[in-house]
Amino acid sequence: MLLGVGKAHTGTCWHAPTVWSWASVVGLKMKFKIWRKNTSRWLFIPESASWNSWASAEFDLAQIRLIVYQDCERRGRQVLFDSKAIHKLDSSEPTADESKTTPNRSNACQIGCQASDKDKPPSYQYTRPASDVNMLGEMMFGSVSMSYKGSTLKIHHIRSPPQLMISKVFSTRFGSSSVSGSTSTLQDSFESMCQTFPSHSSSMAHSNPVDMPSRGHSEDGDSGIARSASLSSLLATPLPSPGSSLSSGCASSFQRRYLRSQATSLQHGPVPRCSNPAMIRRKKIAISIIISLPEREEENHSFQEFFFSHFPLFESHMNKLKTAIERAMIVCRRIAESSQRVQVYLCRVMEALGEFRMTVWNLYMAPRISEPVWLSMISQSAERNLLCQRFMKEMSLLMEHGAKTQFLSVLLTAVLTHHLAWVPTVMPSNLPPAKHACQKPTSQTVDHLAKSHPYNPLWAQLGDLYGALGSPVRVCRTVVVGRRRELVQRVLYVLSYFIRCSDLQEEHVQPQGRDNSANPCMSQTNDPSTEKHFSPPPDEPFSEVPGTNEKAQISGVGVPIPCMFVQQQQDLSKDTKSTNPPNSLEAANVGPESSETGQECFGEVSGELEHILANQSPLLHRVQFHIGSPREADNAGQAGNLAAMGAGRGFDKCLHQRLLTDVMRNESSDSALGDSDDEETSLQEVYMASELMEYDLPLPKFEVESRASVNHFGRSLLGGYCPQYMPDFALHGISSDFRLKQYLMADLEHTVLHPALDEPVAEALCIVADTDRLSVQVVSSQRRVFEGGRLGRDVMMSNLIHTLITSVLQLFALNIAADFCVMHLEDRLQEVYFKSRSLAEYLRGQTRVHMSSRIRTHCARQPFSPCPAFTKQSDCLVCPDERLAVYVCVCIQLPGDDESCIILEYLMRLCLFFHKSLI
Amino acid sequence: MLINTFHFLQMNALVALCHFCELHGPRTLFCTEAVHPPSPSPPQAGSAIPGDRDPEAEREGEGLTMRANSSATQRDMCEGCRSLPASHPGFVSVDNETGIRYLSHQHPRQAQLFSVVRQACVRSLSCEVCPGREGPIFFGDEQHGFVFSHTFFIKDSLARGFQRWYSIVVVAMDRIYLINSWPFLLRHLRLTIQSLQSTALKVFDSEQCVCPQRVMRMNSAFSPAVFPHQRSGNAARSLTSLTQHPNLWGSLHSSFSWLLKACGSRLTEKLLEGAPTEDTLVLIERQTEQEEEMSGWDGSEGEGSNLQSGQSESAQAKDFQFEDGKQDDFIGPKFKSLRHLRQVLGAADFRQLTWHVLMGNQVIWRGSDSGLIQSAFSVLKALLPVGCVRAIPYSPHYEEAYRCNFLGLSPDVPIPAHVSSSEFSVLVDVLNAEKGCAGQLTADEVLSLYQFHLSSTNTQPTDKGPTLLNKMEVALSNENLSVEVVSLCLLCLKEEWMNKVKVLFKFSKVDGRGKEDTQRVLGLLGATGPGEEDNVRLLKFWMTGLSKLYKSHLMTAVRGGERTLSQ
Repeated sequence: MLLGVGKAHTGTCWHAPTVWSWASVVGLKMKFKIWRKNTSRWLFIPESASWNSWASAEFDLAQIRLIVYQDCERRGRQVLFDSKAIHKLDSSEPTADESKTTPNRSNACQIGCQASDKDKPPSYQYTRPASDVNMLGEMMFGSVSMSYKGSTLKIHHIRSPPQLMISKVFSTRFGSSSVSGSTSTLQDSFESMCQTFPSHSSSMAHSNPVDMPSRGHSEDGDSGIARSASLSSLLATPLPSPGSSLSSGCASSFQRRYLRSQATSLQHGPVPRCSNPAMIRRKKIAISIIISLPEREEENHSFQEFFFSHFPLFESHMNKLKTAIERAMIVCRRIAESSQRVQVYLCRVMEALGEFRMTVWNLYMAPRISEPVWLSMISQSAERNLLCQRFMKEMSLLMEHGAKTQFLSVLLTAVLTHHLAWVPTVMPSNLPPAKHACQKPTSQTVDHLAKSHPYNPLWAQLGDLYGALGSPVRVCRTVVVGRRRELVQRVLYVLSYFIRCSDLQEEHVQPQGRDNSANPCMSQTNDPSTEKHFSPPPDEPFSEVPGTNEKAQISGVGVPIPCMFVQQQQDLSKDTKSTNPPNSLEAANVGPESSETGQECFGEVSGELEHILANQSPLLHRVQFHIGSPREADNAGQAGNLAAMGAGRGFDKCLHQRLLTDVMRNESSDSALGDSDDEETSLQEVYMASELMEYDLPLPKFEVESRASVNHFGRSLLGGYCPQYMPDFALHGISSDFRLKQYLMADLEHTVLHPALDEPVAEALCIVADTDRLSVQVVSSQRRVFEGGRLGRDVMMSNLIHTLITSVLQLFALNIAADFCVMHLEDRLQEVYFKSRSLAEYLRGQTRVHMSSRIRTHCARQPFSPCPAFTKQSDCLVCPDERLAVYVCVCIQLPGDDESCIILEYLMRLCLFFHKSLI
Repeated sequence: MLINTFHFLQMNALVALCHFCELHGPRTLFCTEAVHPPSPSPPQAGSAIPGDRDPEAEREGEGLTMRANSSATQRDMCEGCRSLPASHPGFVSVDNETGIRYLSHQHPRQAQLFSVVRQACVRSLSCEVCPGREGPIFFGDEQHGFVFSHTFFIKDSLARGFQRWYSIVVVAMDRIYLINSWPFLLRHLRLTIQSLQSTALKVFDSEQCVCPQRVMRMNSAFSPAVFPHQRSGNAARSLTSLTQHPNLWGSLHSSFSWLLKACGSRLTEKLLEGAPTEDTLVLIERQTEQEEEMSGWDGSEGEGSNLQSGQSESAQAKDFQFEDGKQDDFIGPKFKSLRHLRQVLGAADFRQLTWHVLMGNQVIWRGSDSGLIQSAFSVLKALLPVGCVRAIPYSPHYEEAYRCNFLGLSPDVPIPAHVSSSEFSVLVDVLNAEKGCAGQLTADEVLSLYQFHLSSTNTQPTDKGPTLLNKMEVALSNENLSVEVVSLCLLCLKEEWMNKVKVLFKFSKVDGRGKEDTQRVLGLLGATGPGEEDNVRLLKFWMTGLSKLYKSHLMTAVRGGERTLSQ
């Protein structure tokens, strides 16, 4: 019985839930009804009205396909798993069964063999794999196999049918001792699988592997751990940052971002590694996820935007899937009977796939907080007062609700202790505010950093949200549990003020006059009306554009601007004011100040085609050659590049002439140049050319339209009241902690092993706030055992935070304007920062004086485990104020000072007790 | 809250155009890289010096080609493998805002990048498989960098299959950033590719029209000696000839530079920093005033307006150390810290003196050693917000209290009766006991030679409050705390009380609430209880130290109804 279960039934079942989240989806009325019967309480969640602007369409779980492939020298390529070729056999009434259930994890679980409510696990039949697997296999492994030993990631876009394929290819061990144990077991497992599994070897020819040196790293080198080597070496270097001064507001932000820029800089180049020929040419396994993209262009677009901006999360879940597949392999090896072995294998993998699908679905479709307070306050200054009003009101209500247990103060103690991104937002700036107090000139240091040493702002944001600001890196999430939806949503709303991150705007960058800059030889006709703004005056170099901060955003502008932006630009950008009148032909010629030779070589427009090209490409207007002209030297001087400057000045016109003649001759010559032809010899060419000065072309301008972007973590990781627990969100609410209890520990461990942050993570934490029981606990990846079935440690209230919140709310109760209350709240948070500073200073002194070598050795040896000699005392001594201060201290430490941070923490717990006057 | 917007003006990446030459296999044709200005960072290993080229890296890159294309012995290079002629110096564009230079050559100039690009080129054109052979792929690894590649065909009437195969690769070390940028890169590279393709298509079409003659002519032109080349004479066609675009490489340079820059500026990060402290604001305001006065005098406006950034910082720093700087000029005894002052004066006198300072009373020091007096002021000033300090360090005659709350006088200056009888002032007379042997003693010991006589007509007890002083004394008397810790503690206390001042200002001055309400606010602020009277006095005095900016901000927020509140 080869039912098309996969498509038809799962299709039904996965479609249904999209309705609650996106009720406007058409054509799903029947499914909608089925859904509503069971889960009407989830309908019309207020959040669902305005959140989730990226998920413009339903997302069908069957859209996600899993293929496991093996590439082995002896046997060729074999498909080890293809979810498209697997069909469920035993469900007696699959339709009713599956369509009834929600697409939550419990359902995904039912697919698997561990479903508790089923008597026996389902059976699967593996049928003929789809016709495209050969092609897909070739895409995964490449036509020439690489001898690179680490795991590699590939992403393909398949045009028709539109699909995205994400493949992780990793080699298995063969005589290499450097690879981790899990791979070797996986290798063995695959070996045994191949024997029993219906094999579909492709007859692909195998070329010799390309000689690529293998690396000494673990097989999962791209998970981010590998980067730690270079990162930590950087950490050791003292930074030229303002971090050491008390008043520098951006210390933390600066350092974290600076380091990231350094770690990812191309200029440092790749890390050279030596080659070991003994390790090449081994078996490779590919795990591929293929996502069918929506047919409609718009939906396709929004899914892709979401996918690529959230890729670290997707990848993290793929790693989890990979681990599950490995486990399935290991488990099934123990089974002697072959058909049963296959069943167990299929069952396990299907279960893991179900998990993966659910997680992806949740990530894409789950409700979000529609108006996270902090981000909204940053981005919408116009509605700030209303926002403050609502925020203060909600916070007051929450305070009243949990008054007895001081629930809010306890929760905020935990949140402020672990989601540390608030700290840089209250560190005082020492720069004068511009115009009025809400605007401040950009910090010169950080802005310069952003411009000259780019880092990934998405990465920075993710770190902010998870509170990964200290060193060692700790990441934290918060889950609010409760049956009263309204209450949970209120808590989420209030917390969205304290869990902070930077806001991202997507600049919709357009090359001048619509994509001409991207088009070296655009052949569509341009609207001449736009062109007139384009050509920059030749006698006004761009260097004269004032480089102030407000203008920085658009100072790159100048040239082709769709009309709607012109006005704005003219206000801001000096050089647009004096743009040349449209004269493409003239502009295509060399600028008036160019030398004759330049004209001969490049400027002369000959032939009709060139004419057309020149007229059509505004870019050409700016292709001006200033060789030998005085201006060139000026430009070089402005560029501040010494080498260029030197070369430019030493450049005489004769040399130009000769060079350019060469150029002409070479251009027109039919024969291959007799000299230095090969790429190898082109090295000499490089040397030779390096003594010459490059032709200076103006940098193409572009115009920028800032739009609030929805595809960033600040909008996507602040979840609303969700139907079930989810592992990715920095904050979200759930109705029951059933699944939380089941999955949390594993998720935390996974976070440490495969951090989405692309940085090594020392500890993963989760704050669990229960609004029904009014309790707050912190669960850590490091502490496992708690009596009484509790998840983690109860959080104690910080008096500091309690008085802070209380007094702010009392001010509000006294009818002081909400925006002033919020200002006061910020001031008070700044006080916490100052207090932590003095504590840190105190402890630094203590470290010098009292630090016993014993603790020091211990910390150095086992950086993340509690010091045995002090565990007991510190447990008694730890009070929430201290704890908070500890973490704040750690956050403001210079990164890389791991040891002293840890020492600080111990000392904080121990010594602070005796110096209460400090806090 | 203050908003910082960070712009990213470039991406840590390079762009290259690659070609699969039918004779020579995958070749890098054209490469645009970004060269950063010397960074403010620690020195970077292996910066771009061509002479530094790592021979290992080269061989690695080359070895790849050899193996993959079995063209190890082919040392020649045809037109199709070439973009710029050997003698061409390449292109450069300078981003004047950041100093980043975008350089284009056939091969990257930075030695470390040579093999990276080579690797990306080979993988994109001979290793990775894309369905239909045209389209985007992401691949790469830590070792060789990460690559976004887009392969495509260009029409060529003379090529086998009438097309040639190219790719554009974007190489970066930041994997996640590159993947995040996929939609952007795809969108814009597609435009570039389409325009190349359509231009070449026109050339192709026109060539097809005249095809027979052309083929004949070419066949006759080639001699047997160059037959291998001739048969694949097509292999010698450059992209320039395929597109008939005279400025092709210059345009591609602009296009690639643009892409690198635009890809980096795609996302803007808005970061918030805390508000500057009131002290900072006041200092800035004072500095601005000074500069305005100055510029009013000498008429040089240009200098005056340029008070941002570095200049203001240094000026600020100077202001902070105002006396410290001068102090250094005096070789003589001085007070080093509050704790030192407390030791010298004794706890009781110190308490009384600081009480007067905090209440805003006029503090007059009279003595012959102006250096000592100034050091006392600089230590005592730290107790107050900057805005509350009006000091005349040393004067030959008395100055009224409204002009200064710190006044230094030479020993013989008389104090007017209305002052000496006022409870709002305190006088410290510095008396030199012996002078003779000062040379042999340390500064500390020298101080013991002085006598300090404190006098005030104030009858109020100074031992109850204010709370701030009580806490301060705890910290000062705790010998376990270093001077640095104490000064940070003082900063905490000051900020804490400044925040109370702000609330009180808002409440009483802006909103104009009644006494009863005000009393409640005081309770809420923790200003009531023992020492309440002193606390209130302190708050009221400190209110005068608020920055103009803050005050006007609160006022306008209420009056103008302008609700873009901030801070």
